[in-house]
Amino acid sequence: MNPVRLLVIFFAAMVAQWWWMTHFSIFGLAPQLLLVLTVALAARYGALWGMSAGFLWGLFLDLMSPRLFGANALAFTWIAWGTGSVRRQIDVAGLGPQAVVVVAMTWAYFLLLGVLGLIFSKSFFWVGLPAFCLDPFYNAVVTTVLFALWTPRWEHRR
Amino acid sequence: MHREARIANYALAVLSVIALTMLSLPLSSPVQAFKACAAYVLNPAAYVGAKATERLANVPANIKDLIAANSENRLMRDKMKQVEWTETESQALRAENQRLRGALGLKGLPERSPVWARVIVREPEHWYRSVTVDAGGNQGLAVNSPVLGSQGGRLIVIGRVVSVRPDTSIVLLLTDEQSSVAAYATSPSTETVRSFDGLLQGQGGPRLRLDYLVPDATVEKGDLVYTSPTSATFPPDVLIGTVVQIFPPNQELEWRSMAVEPAVDASRLTEVLILKTQSAAAEAPKLSSADANDTSADTTQETSE
Repeated sequence: MNPVRLLVIFFAAMVAQWWWMTHFSIFGLAPQLLLVLTVALAARYGALWGMSAGFLWGLFLDLMSPRLFGANALAFTWIAWGTGSVRRQIDVAGLGPQAVVVVAMTWAYFLLLGVLGLIFSKSFFWVGLPAFCLDPFYNAVVTTVLFALWTPRWEHRR
Repeated sequence: MHREARIANYALAVLSVIALTMLSLPLSSPVQAFKACAAYVLNPAAYVGAKATERLANVPANIKDLIAANSENRLMRDKMKQVEWTETESQALRAENQRLRGALGLKGLPERSPVWARVIVREPEHWYRSVTVDAGGNQGLAVNSPVLGSQGGRLIVIGRVVSVRPDTSIVLLLTDEQSSVAAYATSPSTETVRSFDGLLQGQGGPRLRLDYLVPDATVEKGDLVYTSPTSATFPPDVLIGTVVQIFPPNQELEWRSMAVEPAVDASRLTEVLILKTQSAAAEAPKLSSADANDTSADTTQETSE
């Protein structure tokens, strides 16, 4: 992957995530764009790319929260590694499998944050029932849009 | 094992160790230094994005304001003449107050000056927990600076600063479980004090809980809750919210509890007023961008009032 392109995507994604969750959340719900991109990177280019970007994106989210610095970084790293492991078993480059992986990984992310909260701050960090139930599907919708925008034309034709 | 999988496993181990170190030792110097570096690199994304959005969104309003500015300017000049008199009067009253406090042997109140800041980051998962504002160490803010909001011309308690960077700060909202403030209730009509001080705590949701009120406190639904003069962080007598539910007395507990609805909804916050103490303001110019990248409070340990 072109490093310049990756760098542009890396910073643009952080601005987009910030903008979306601050100005465009619906009933307090906003998609985890950075999580979706971490899964997409790991699914397309392998776990290493996903883990590198995911770790830094996780740090970005950690910096915006007053508690548990490192929790998002760890969660995103494991999500990228998990996606990479799934990638070796089945083809997750397609839209359908990627959306399913995103839904599963979002739930895994919420539970992981909760458990990390339980371990490091002695209280299970619960994101709330609406976010837990709806965010995975919201993320899947974002995956569909991103997939349509990010897939090269020759791949569409194929 | 496949080469790519082996490298991924090594990377997973390294990144996990880094993340777990950050989680386990959040206050150690290497983690604080790493956090400062990460904030220096990654934080501008939100700050720059906020500034760009603000400028773009303000273009139509700025043009409109420019047209209205002339007539407003004339009005303001007239008002300024009145303000000059009010300021002179206020200075005289302040001097008198200080003189009388001195005569009674009372300690003077800390001098605070306000800084207005915009809310630039609000996370859906932390809706009632924290927000990030576009003022920081360069504006003279310090950890534990009280953060207020304004609604209908009244000041309302919002939370306090828990992390300061050069141009941004993280505000822990009063609705977070780790927030607490000493408070008392008054009748909304007569403004008579209904109770002795209690401890108001966040619940991680839209409502707050006022505990430790004496059993014979005559608090009713609709009573207003204000910050207590004994509060270490907040100025006294600032509105917090309204009593919406009084819990039935528990035989095992020797105090009364009630639910309080904050006077300002966290989801409507766009601007906040942060009170900086004069000592923090004096230190502001010394705060270089290198050492001011992140001054965080250990939020788990310094919550109690």
